[in-house]
Amino acid sequence: MSSFTKSAQQWATFARSWYLIDARMQPPGKIATMCAIRLQGKHKPIYHALSDVGDHVVVMNSRHIAFSGNKWEQKMYSSHTQVHSSSIFLFFLQIVKLAVYGMLPRNLSRRTMMQRLHLFPEDDLPEDILLNLTEELPQPREIPRRLNEYSQEEREAFPTLWTP
Amino acid sequence: MTSRGTPSRFLQSVLQNGVGRYVCQMKRISLIFSKNGQSSLGAREFIEEGVVDFAQKNPGTVVYVSPQSCRIPKIVAEYLNGNVKEEAITSKTSQQIAELITKLTNQSGLDIIRIRKPIHTDSPSIQGQWHPFTNRPLSIGPIGPQKQQAN
Repeated sequence: MSSFTKSAQQWATFARSWYLIDARMQPPGKIATMCAIRLQGKHKPIYHALSDVGDHVVVMNSRHIAFSGNKWEQKMYSSHTQVHSSSIFLFFLQIVKLAVYGMLPRNLSRRTMMQRLHLFPEDDLPEDILLNLTEELPQPREIPRRLNEYSQEEREAFPTLWTP
Repeated sequence: MTSRGTPSRFLQSVLQNGVGRYVCQMKRISLIFSKNGQSSLGAREFIEEGVVDFAQKNPGTVVYVSPQSCRIPKIVAEYLNGNVKEEAITSKTSQQIAELITKLTNQSGLDIIRIRKPIHTDSPSIQGQWHPFTNRPLSIGPIGPQKQQAN
């Protein structure tokens, strides 16, 4: 690294990365915290609030987010702009978008950071975004398997208290 | 003027002077004075007593003594990087002129303007400056949605 020129070292240190998050079966709040940290640039040791060091975050499969408990019925998100309720895709995107928007700092850079967040309902991403991605982040929640996803041997090997 | 309107520079030394041998950065010093003039009295006294010792102590500097008919006696110091500094020595005592000359000898020729930081280093980072791929786990294959096989 010491053999780099000063300008090359500056480009390397302040480069903006693109991260990918798969939101399938994930709670949107945990997805939003991961996004907010990386959009602000708080995962970098060179972070400063005025320095605009945030990265791009691409969230795919945001159609398949999973709330725990009764939050689908109880939780309310509010926004001054209205979303047409008949477009389901936009509705799900709006949940993740509002969650991230609420987690970013309330200053003028929030809109710039939101422009760097890219949400997609399914996993077909455009070609130019696929070329930009540098890292896929691990999912915050381990997806539990359904009963029919367990094999017969695993079901039999599972310990039972008593045979009915 | 504000510090934004005036020129400024970063702290530096001339070719790491002093790490090896110290090289005096003043190459030439000219004493311009008049033979009969009250203002050059201190200059004439300095030339009588101090200038020869000074020249012997600083073998790397050339000393010119030029009597002219001038109203203001001057010292003109020229440095190795080409900067020229003129100081008027009207009505100064010999002692003051000697101090002024030692001050000019100890200067490097760099401009006396605002220094942006009082620190400078050629090796700002020992372990290597951070970039986004330090401490990042290796990933194999292109990043993107993978074709998953359902169990």
